[in-house]
Amino acid sequence: MQADKITVTGFRHFFKTEGGDVQATGSIDIAIRPGEFVTLVGPSGCGKTTLLKAIAGFITPTEGTILCDGKPVRGPGRDRGVVFQELAILPWRTVRRNIGHGLEIARVPKAERDRAVARLIDLMGLAGFEDRYPHELSGGMRQRVAVARTWAADPEIILMDEPFAAVDAMTRLTLQEELGRLCATTRKTVFFITHSVEEAVFLADRVLVMTKRPGTIKAVLDVPRHDAGGRDWDSFTSDPEMRAIAEQVMHLVHAERVA
Amino acid sequence: MTSATIARTVWRDTRILLPFVVLIAAWWALKVGLDVSDQLLVSPPRVWDGFVYLVTHGILAEYASTSLRIIGISALISFAIGVPLGFAVGTNRYASRALEGTLRFLQGISGIAWLPLAILWFGFTHTTTLVIVIYTLIVPIVFNTMTGVRAIPENYVLALRSLGAGPVRIVTDVYLPGALPSIVVGMRLGMGYGWRALIAAEMLVRQGGLGDLIFGARSFNQIDRIMVGMVVIGVLYIVVDRLLVQPIETLTLARWGVLRR
Ligand SMILES: Nc1ncnc2c1ncn2[C@@H]1O[C@H](COP(=O)(O)OP(=O)(O)OP(=O)(O)O)[C@@H](O)[C@H]1O
Ligand SMILES: [Mg+2]
Repeated sequence: MQADKITVTGFRHFFKTEGGDVQATGSIDIAIRPGEFVTLVGPSGCGKTTLLKAIAGFITPTEGTILCDGKPVRGPGRDRGVVFQELAILPWRTVRRNIGHGLEIARVPKAERDRAVARLIDLMGLAGFEDRYPHELSGGMRQRVAVARTWAADPEIILMDEPFAAVDAMTRLTLQEELGRLCATTRKTVFFITHSVEEAVFLADRVLVMTKRPGTIKAVLDVPRHDAGGRDWDSFTSDPEMRAIAEQVMHLVHAERVA
Repeated sequence: MTSATIARTVWRDTRILLPFVVLIAAWWALKVGLDVSDQLLVSPPRVWDGFVYLVTHGILAEYASTSLRIIGISALISFAIGVPLGFAVGTNRYASRALEGTLRFLQGISGIAWLPLAILWFGFTHTTTLVIVIYTLIVPIVFNTMTGVRAIPENYVLALRSLGAGPVRIVTDVYLPGALPSIVVGMRLGMGYGWRALIAAEMLVRQGGLGDLIFGARSFNQIDRIMVGMVVIGVLYIVVDRLLVQPIETLTLARWGVLRR
């Protein structure tokens, strides 16, 4: 058996505020295997972002331990890339310089950097926009740049917090398929937060469902893959097995709605 | 080029001057129509003569260069101190909360209000003027740098730290460019306030400068000189603003677009 890539044990987090401590999450235990795509759904405010930020190393857990490759997380690092819902890429850098930013920080020589960036620009359908600034792009394209920037830095783990939530529904379908393909070819370990049950099931090897705040893991559902590549929406929607899983997740999530 | 396009170009380039022409015409009409005494108002040609006299005798250059030197030195010092200070305060949530009230309080006390104290401390010297102008300039620079830094979305910083960026990288790649538009706004405001404070301080300190020129002219009823001085003060401000501050603003803002938050 392969060792886990991410292990969260007994994680609980409280935020200190002027009105006293706010409990953001209940006790959470998670193990994510290398190359696995794990999605997390749960009601708003249940602590999803808090958990992701703790894995990313942005916040220190009040309780519990988080291990990546068996080593405790002590802060952010290049091994864990992050994609946020919005406001991620820098408005004062062109598409090319945003995507190459991680490599620039790592002092990768320019020629090599350009090659990596060019490949991702192709892969993400951004050709022709290399020298544009983010404000000249659509919301969907900006998220593509954010995803490409993270991939360019080549981290082993990718943490995504509702990366497509601010994108229109049509573009989202495309981005989801692209992400699925990208992951299938690069074998990253992905932890992906979403509000969309469909998205969670479509992308995942495993779906985690959280309870309402203070959130704990309520259920874990495996989503079997029948081929190595990424899924596509046409076959996904017509697959009764997938529909059944989505339905199941939907029931679990709905039970957590705040009355 | 047809005569029509030439006319259009000339019109485009001169139309900002039109209100001035109207103003001068009104002034002249007032002077002639109401037969105002030379003790109160002189005609535009008299002011022009005064201007020519001041220029040919090197007087204007002398006084104007004093003012420009002081505003230039003040701007450099204020920038060098104000921007890092604004960063230090802006990146530290506790410091910025604690200092926000103080900065607002200081914004309320104009540089001129410090003059009595400054004169007691430094006498009627350029130091007094410099201190007043730096004070006036630095407050909006610190304040705007601080607000600019604080308005930068946290995600920019977090994402970059996950790409392996250290503190220096965060400053050069996120804080500086992110706060630059605000810094420029602070500089621009500061230059406006500073220039006014400078003229006022010069009037009291009387050690040269355009404020000294127009205040001194008052003692001898040299209305033409007073008016020349006022026009030069206004024109120099426009020149400094147009040549220095505006280009930076257009360069940064136009290129990056309105920052989306
Ligand atoms: N910096 C903070 N200070 C105080 N409380 C916070 C802070 N960040 C989050 N919280 C609280 O912790 C709880 C969990 O927040 P979190 O952002 O993790 O929720 P979430 O599951 O990501 O919600 P959403 O789906 O709406 O993004 C919420 O009740 C929130 O109000
Ligand atoms: Mg969230």
